[in-house]
Amino acid sequence: MSSQPIIDRDFLEKLERLSLHWQQPFGGLVGGHQRSRSPGPGQEFLDHRHFHHGDDPRAVNWRAYLRLEKLILKMFQVEPRVPVRMLLDVSRSMATGASSKFDYARRLAAALCYIGLIRLDAITVQPFSDRLGDPFLCSGGRQRLAETVNRLTALTPGGRTSYQKVVREFSSAGLPRGLLIVISDFLDEDDCIRPLQYLADSGHELLLIHLWAEEDRTPPWDGELELAHAETGERLEIDFGPEAREAYTAAFDRWARTLQEAMVRKGGRYAGIPTSMPVETAIFGPLAAVGAVE
Amino acid sequence: MSFLNLSPAEFLALAASAAAFLVALYLLDRSRRRQTVATFRFWTASALIPHWKRRRWIQQPWSLLLQIASVLLLLTAVAGLRWGSPEAAARDHVIVLDASAWMAARGRSGALLDEAKAAAVSYVRALPSSDRVMLIRADALATPVTGFLNDRGAIFEAIRKTQAGATALRLEDALQVARQAQRLEGRSAGSIVYAGAGRVSKEESTWASVPGGLRVLPVSDPPVNCGLRGLSLRRAEGDPASWEIFVTARNYGRARCDAPLTVQFGGALIGAHRFLLAPGEESSATFRYRTRTAGWIEARLRVDDALETDNHAEIEVPAQPALQVLVYSEEPELLRHVLEASPSVQAVFASPKNYDPGKKAAVVVLDRFRPSGLPQADTVWIEPPPGASPFQVRTSVKAARVERWHAENPLGAGLATRDLRLEETQVFEPAPGDLVVADCAEGPVIVARPGARRAVALGFHPGRGSTRFELATPLLFANLIAWLAPDVFRQWDFASASAGMVTATMDPAMDPGAARVVGRGGRPLPFTVEDGSLRFFAATTGSVQILGGNRAKVLSVNLPDVAGARWEPPPGTPRGLPGSPGPHRSAPSLWPLAAVLGALGLCFEWMRFGPRRRLTPEPEKGAS
Repeated sequence: MSSQPIIDRDFLEKLERLSLHWQQPFGGLVGGHQRSRSPGPGQEFLDHRHFHHGDDPRAVNWRAYLRLEKLILKMFQVEPRVPVRMLLDVSRSMATGASSKFDYARRLAAALCYIGLIRLDAITVQPFSDRLGDPFLCSGGRQRLAETVNRLTALTPGGRTSYQKVVREFSSAGLPRGLLIVISDFLDEDDCIRPLQYLADSGHELLLIHLWAEEDRTPPWDGELELAHAETGERLEIDFGPEAREAYTAAFDRWARTLQEAMVRKGGRYAGIPTSMPVETAIFGPLAAVGAVE
Repeated sequence: MSFLNLSPAEFLALAASAAAFLVALYLLDRSRRRQTVATFRFWTASALIPHWKRRRWIQQPWSLLLQIASVLLLLTAVAGLRWGSPEAAARDHVIVLDASAWMAARGRSGALLDEAKAAAVSYVRALPSSDRVMLIRADALATPVTGFLNDRGAIFEAIRKTQAGATALRLEDALQVARQAQRLEGRSAGSIVYAGAGRVSKEESTWASVPGGLRVLPVSDPPVNCGLRGLSLRRAEGDPASWEIFVTARNYGRARCDAPLTVQFGGALIGAHRFLLAPGEESSATFRYRTRTAGWIEARLRVDDALETDNHAEIEVPAQPALQVLVYSEEPELLRHVLEASPSVQAVFASPKNYDPGKKAAVVVLDRFRPSGLPQADTVWIEPPPGASPFQVRTSVKAARVERWHAENPLGAGLATRDLRLEETQVFEPAPGDLVVADCAEGPVIVARPGARRAVALGFHPGRGSTRFELATPLLFANLIAWLAPDVFRQWDFASASAGMVTATMDPAMDPGAARVVGRGGRPLPFTVEDGSLRFFAATTGSVQILGGNRAKVLSVNLPDVAGARWEPPPGTPRGLPGSPGPHRSAPSLWPLAAVLGALGLCFEWMRFGPRRRLTPEPEKGAS
């Protein structure tokens, strides 16, 4: 793992004008700068409707009642604090490769948290491998970035990836719907697409940030290889060469395409980022291209 | 076929090591590498597993064989593979070029050294270009001029620059140096070639244990040569102004020699002699010449022979100035007898009324008077008035008697008279550093003061009373003069000598512990003293002084040291230039071909079995 700061000041200045974006309307609390199309308690008038049982009597338009003798309810537009959650993969597979995906993921997470902080969004960062780790809330403005960075720096890779267990645990918590950013290499020996689809079906808007190291996509080795699985420790002996490399890369791309298509079908977004790409380029490139930041 | 640098066993050992190293590298390169990966998903998905076969140790035998063969070819190139016998290999030769004094003699075609140079150059030209040559310039010392070089131009230039020296040849030393140089180089030793006349000392002329591989390139031996062996001078006994001159000549040739000798001083003939010398005979002639002036005494043999440099010798004779003693005395007759006894002292007497402190003299004698100023020279005070001299007079006594002479200092050396009676004398109070020469019961009566201006004070007059007739009086004055002017009594001998190891007979009066040998410019020369002979080495001509006490010997090293005997190489020793270059001269070197083939083999292996083509699995039918 790298000992350099996971994010620097110059980069932060470039992130000042960005904000996180999501596509679905989410009910939420007042706060934040994201305009919502949902009515609710707020300061700005949105519309009128008839009063129904259970509505807050304080929202009744009494002037209209005196004139029309009907209970008309005033609706207000809120700028809700939409729940934004970030699932950060800290499994051992993230620590493989010459350039660590784990370090890259932490830098990228710090950048996204900073974007949320400057827009007064609340982002819950939750590491995971085969289970969900302790979450920490990133909110309260840019002055809270240092705390977030410290929490990210304190993370260590470990454990085996299991999306089924993680999604099950996440769903059972009954968390409100919101934007769910998943930063991972998605290298689960079991199927990871189906659990992610389940999350999308349950109302969350998924933003998958797929990280891979160059050797994950194009292994540079030749000859006889004795491969060790980073998470399971299993070993595999194999002959490897240019043609096999091409087949490997094709399989990787095929799988990444499958993941992307599955997410798009479920209304989510997918951004594939190699670790050779600078984080700044990733923010203003693939992530901006899918509308994750604007 | 032979290997130039390696024996077959060494080559095989090296080749086996290289092959083993290559195989190890090959197996290491082909060994299974361990890598940690994030997932097996795509490895298995790419359908590679069915292609995995049981691992074989040698998977590409042709690649390995090609690599080994290529490296062996490169190894043979480094080893210098060559067709032919080992004698065909490049060798190291040493040319020992005689640069002794005798090589300056005229031969049949110019100087003997030129003949030797031509022979050496011819020999070097006849060598194969791969052979290396070292040049040693040999006279009394064996001087390596070059290292082992392939550069023929440098060798020829070194040969061309060689000049005849002034010393005799020490052939045994030179050949041993040559052999040692070949051993140190550690390569195939070639010939040791001696080019020269073989003039050596008589002891060395019978030397037969020559090193192996010696070849002699002889030069002509001139039949006629007479030369001077020595020229020496010494002062004649009883007449310091006369020189006795000794000249020695020798016949080095094989024919009888009639050699007229002339001896000149400053260009003026002072003597002549005719030497009739049989082969190997040595004879001397003696001359006598009277002069006090400086000049050159020159001896010349009027012969037209092979070597001119030994027909002439000369010695520089220095002037013999007398010691100027200025005596201020009202009674000069009292001192005249002690001062004029030595021919090396020239005494001038003057009245104290005419005293001039600035008048030049080596020694000033002040006889019982108070000078107006101290003289600018060494001074002898006789009965100085109290307060007139630098010496303090303690008292004056009458009827005193010298009770002790201080022989431990040079002024009292040799004086032991105990019955010297003094009618009247002053007693001095010596200052610190003063030397007391003689004491009476009351105190010192003769004291001396060393320093830049030396001074001696006598409390009594040596020419008055009974002291005039005492033997101690002239001895005391001799000591005074010798202490004040040491050079006056130094005895000088002059001789000519030959360069090289010079042996000079030491004067018995010379103290070996105090002896010094001083060369040109006052440079001390190392020397040894053994059995009354002093030996030192003079590599060049010039003047050398041997100093010791009051004795001095000047050697003019201006005669070449011509050895008197001729060395004949043992029977069977090759002579002259070698014949045809021999079959090995055309033996081709195979190392360039081996190097090219080795490089091509490695290139082909890399292209055929290089990393891009290594271990590429062949897809099986049906796999997609």
